[in-house]
Amino acid sequence: MLQDYYIPKSIADTLALLKDNNGRARIIAGGTDLVLDHQAEKITADAFIDISNIDELKKIECSDGYISIGAAVTHNQVARSQLIQEHAIALAQAARAVGSLQIRNIATVVGNVVNAQPAADTAVALVALGAEAEINSFSEVEYVPVEDMYAGLGKSTVDSTSQLVTRIRFAVPERNQGTAFVRLCQRKALALPMLCVAAMVSLKDDKFEWVRLVMAPVGPKPIRAAKAEEMLKGSPVTDEVIEKAAQLALENANPRSSLVRGSREYRMGVLPVLIKRALVAAVAQAK
Amino acid sequence: MSADKIDFDIVGKSVRRRDAFEKVTGEAVFSTDVKLPGMLYAKVLRSPYPHAKIKKIDISKAEQLPGVKAVAYYGNTPRIKFNTSATMTFTVPHLEPVLDQYVFDDIVRYVGDEVAAVAAVSEEIAQQALKLIEVEYEELPAVYDPLEAMKEEAPHIHTGCKEGKNIPGDIVKIDMGDVEQGFAESDLVIEEMFKVPVQKQVQMETQAAVAQVSREGDITVWSTTQTPHPTRMILSRAFGVPHSKIRVLNPPYVGGGFGVRIGCSAKAEPIAVALAMLAKRPVKVVYTREEDFIASDTRHGGYVWAKLGVKKDGTFHALDLKGVLNAGAYCSFSCETPGVLGAMTLSVYRIPHQKYFGHSVYTNTTPAGAMRGFGNPQGIFALESVVDMVAEKLNIDPLELRLKNIMQVGDPWCLPYPCGATGMAECIEKGAKSIGWDRRGKLNKPGATKVRGIGVAIGSHVSNSWPFCVDYDNAYVTIQQDGSVQVACGVPDIGTGTTTTLPQLAAEELGVRFDMVNMTFGDTASTPFDIGSHASRTLYAAGTAVVAAAKDAKQQVLEYAADLLDVSAEKLDMKDSEVFVAQGSDEKRISLKEIAYHAHLRNKQFIGVGRIVPPNSPTWEAHFAEVEVDLQTGQVKVIKLVGAHDVGKAINPAICEGQIEGGLAMGLGYALSEEIRYNDKGKQQNKSISTYFLPTAEDMPEVEAILVESNDPSGPFGAKGVGETGLVPTAPAIANAVYNATGIRFTEIPLTEERVFFALRNNKKS
Amino acid sequence: MSLKMLKFTLNGEPMEVPVSPSDMLVDVLRDKLELTGTKKGCGEGECGACTVIMNGKAVASCLVPALKAMGAEVETVEGVAKEKAHPVQEAFMDLGAVQCGFCIPGMIMSSKALLDENPKPSKEEIREAISGNICRCTGYVKIEKAVEAAAQKLQERG
Repeated sequence: MLQDYYIPKSIADTLALLKDNNGRARIIAGGTDLVLDHQAEKITADAFIDISNIDELKKIECSDGYISIGAAVTHNQVARSQLIQEHAIALAQAARAVGSLQIRNIATVVGNVVNAQPAADTAVALVALGAEAEINSFSEVEYVPVEDMYAGLGKSTVDSTSQLVTRIRFAVPERNQGTAFVRLCQRKALALPMLCVAAMVSLKDDKFEWVRLVMAPVGPKPIRAAKAEEMLKGSPVTDEVIEKAAQLALENANPRSSLVRGSREYRMGVLPVLIKRALVAAVAQAK
Repeated sequence: MSADKIDFDIVGKSVRRRDAFEKVTGEAVFSTDVKLPGMLYAKVLRSPYPHAKIKKIDISKAEQLPGVKAVAYYGNTPRIKFNTSATMTFTVPHLEPVLDQYVFDDIVRYVGDEVAAVAAVSEEIAQQALKLIEVEYEELPAVYDPLEAMKEEAPHIHTGCKEGKNIPGDIVKIDMGDVEQGFAESDLVIEEMFKVPVQKQVQMETQAAVAQVSREGDITVWSTTQTPHPTRMILSRAFGVPHSKIRVLNPPYVGGGFGVRIGCSAKAEPIAVALAMLAKRPVKVVYTREEDFIASDTRHGGYVWAKLGVKKDGTFHALDLKGVLNAGAYCSFSCETPGVLGAMTLSVYRIPHQKYFGHSVYTNTTPAGAMRGFGNPQGIFALESVVDMVAEKLNIDPLELRLKNIMQVGDPWCLPYPCGATGMAECIEKGAKSIGWDRRGKLNKPGATKVRGIGVAIGSHVSNSWPFCVDYDNAYVTIQQDGSVQVACGVPDIGTGTTTTLPQLAAEELGVRFDMVNMTFGDTASTPFDIGSHASRTLYAAGTAVVAAAKDAKQQVLEYAADLLDVSAEKLDMKDSEVFVAQGSDEKRISLKEIAYHAHLRNKQFIGVGRIVPPNSPTWEAHFAEVEVDLQTGQVKVIKLVGAHDVGKAINPAICEGQIEGGLAMGLGYALSEEIRYNDKGKQQNKSISTYFLPTAEDMPEVEAILVESNDPSGPFGAKGVGETGLVPTAPAIANAVYNATGIRFTEIPLTEERVFFALRNNKKS
Repeated sequence: MSLKMLKFTLNGEPMEVPVSPSDMLVDVLRDKLELTGTKKGCGEGECGACTVIMNGKAVASCLVPALKAMGAEVETVEGVAKEKAHPVQEAFMDLGAVQCGFCIPGMIMSSKALLDENPKPSKEEIREAISGNICRCTGYVKIEKAVEAAAQKLQERG
């Protein structure tokens, strides 16, 4: 049963609270998923430590070649950030696609990652961007790629009773790089995706220098279309290559059938279309 | 009351709604807002199984939890059968209402069925107590599809079905002419089976009730019901308490209806009363959104077969229609819905030979009951798809084909009331213009991956519920001592603007200023009996009663004024709250205020009474859709929706438009995305707003509501019903547009991206 | 259960109310403070009926732990009309945007938050602002028109 609710003003205070509570207190940021999980008794905690009042976590910053998004930054901040729109449109679009404005005004992007749902839109975009999270434990700070933060379906490697993700960062994309996010959903608001795809491409001499292609929900976490990425590397930017990548992506996809969000057959059938659209849009961005 | 009068003072004007100010400031009180001293909060234990016998139930641990004041289950609540829907109070005399529910039973028949309920000092404690109720179930075989449920091997869900396995009530049969002969004489016969989904009302306020039982045993229930008077009758039966000791009222607002609470608000009222009786304290029951989804009536899903025979020139000649609907676990309105499906679908076109056979079938799913359109959208989806198929086969423009065959005034039909007026042709013409029908067939370039199409569908509906059920109305119009006017009528205002439009009618009929008229409504203690707000009837039927009462009151006023003015009453009339000499050049006049007070000082008040059995009148509507289909993903996007509606006379045009616009949105969802599906364990898969895809603001196309006025001779000032018609032909209009875009005929809705995707893929292969 | 004192500004007035750490803002407003204008249509952040404005942003108060409002400025539908109705409220009334009314407090708050921040919203911005507010009565047609009209009126006023 929840007994306390802390509202620390600094990272140091937050870490101290985690330590003092010895595993019984849990970090809450926006909390839009957490409070429902708590009400449904999917998680328990004696206390919440609310990090949304920590000024240094509320910022989107660009420095040393990195764009970083603080743990208290909301989806709406990201969706509307000029910096993100300019350099990482895939992330801005992914953030805009989540829930509704009322949710985007509270829910944080870092929280979306830590909540570890396989179809979390911004996580899909962040994996494409090659983002990594800054994770504070009691004594150390480490950087972990977002795509390595999944311990299983809906389970994060981050332990929110002893660790604090302070920010997520990714290298500022170069001029020859572009990103895109494509989403298939039954409704334009208040709906999880049936499928979403994020792509980041780096072009060189009309060829794909490299590509990060991420799909969800086609597995327990955002899934890299590794075979397609491998094929694309060094291939010319042509319709045929993109078509081939779209088909190859299926080899890394293993979607489930859902009576709510579409059968496996449909998702497999339509995934190549989304892959193609994402690649075409990302290429256009990069040019 | 005359339909041909043109110069109205207040009728026909979009006056600001009477409830608007309270609603925009948050002051309007709804059932979920009601709080009484000492009030307890209830939570309901629901079945996890689709069909099971409760072998053992132990409530003792729950009762012992501190804060728990009562636990109700089948062992301590009345064993009197009833039906939560108002059908049990107004089934017409030659039929027997189906009574198949208890407050709690020892058999559960769908996932979500009520097992027990707890009243406690807080919701949290009540919720905790539910976990302490020990139940031992013996699972029984379950069936979910109505066709399966009629088979010999299917389990019996209820006993005593006289018409066949799991068929509640009576099979509806309608016959006109001779269909066999009709098909023999036809040049073209098209037959198709259609499947329609389970749709949910998703009214914004979930089912809710607060019950208070006095020491004398008087019961007061504040609730979300659309029908306070019939709900009182239901509670009276279920608890064996006289009508006169029960008061049912709205507090006074209801957060939407769409049919989901014609009668009780699911079981909110009976559960609240049962717990209040046990606890001897007021009890509040508010359904969670999930409970509202899984345990309150839905639209009927099921199957419709349509067989249409036509002559070479496109003249419709024979129609054979059949409907088998999924009743779910309890009957609710499952006897009437197939009837309305048949009667409405047969009555759109002049067809000399017609036949209908329809019924519902019990299954182990959430009960289906009334929902806006009441069977009509199901039937019209089938008919209007088949009509489109005929148009193509005969190579006749779909509009022309429809215009050639639509019902005209005086045409014979299967309904026991006349087609008094029709503006259908005008609806078709105006709607076609709005959608740009001329562009049809010229919208796409070869090789496009997104293709457009335009479609049309038409339909009709009722303006009240007679002859499908008992239907009568009463109203009082009382002139107050200062000349102001109190209308009392037993209908609620579920959002349809009743409390604005009925005073508009009264003001117009009386000749008093609108701002002098107020209304008492939605309360059995202060209004005479009325069957409530449903069947598009409130303005048409209750309005007829209000006009009759106003006429009565006015006559009394004029007769009284005749003495004061020394002019015969026949020569007098009233306008702007002033009696004047309407015939002749006499300038004498006297204000209603003076008359009323003069009468008061002489021990008299003018009280008009309206007691009417309303007639009925067909509404007419033509819907048009322009769609864009993504050939690669199967997604259908509606670009524009047009609803052109013959509303008889728009008493308040803004309110009429609002009804149509809301209907179109709901019809859009029915066509494309709304459906409750079940897994193989009988569990509802779409039970939250995020998993049930009703449209949001961002999903809406451009919408145009067009009002056509045919001035119906039977309705108040020419008005007809408008509440339900907005979604009757929407789905086939959209499906026909998708056909126009893709060449694929869908016989099942909703047109989800997945359904369209596979149809496109299979089509390409074949 | 330990109660904490929630201190915040509610509709312009300082407010203190003891709440438990698991209380949601919507329940504190409706049950403890008896401000029942804020409606609860789902309790899961999916219908928008509970929308309030917190520090200038529209939020679903059923997803906000009450203590998250500590020190915040919260505005509910009860605080919108001052001497007179707010132009958004006027427009909803004049254009027939109100039917059953259950979604309306949330709609008013979402619309007001939009117009406070963006006095000249595009059609798309209006739709985005109310896309988290489900209305089953109106098809959103007259609601969108009302928000447009209110924006117009506010601009004229300057």
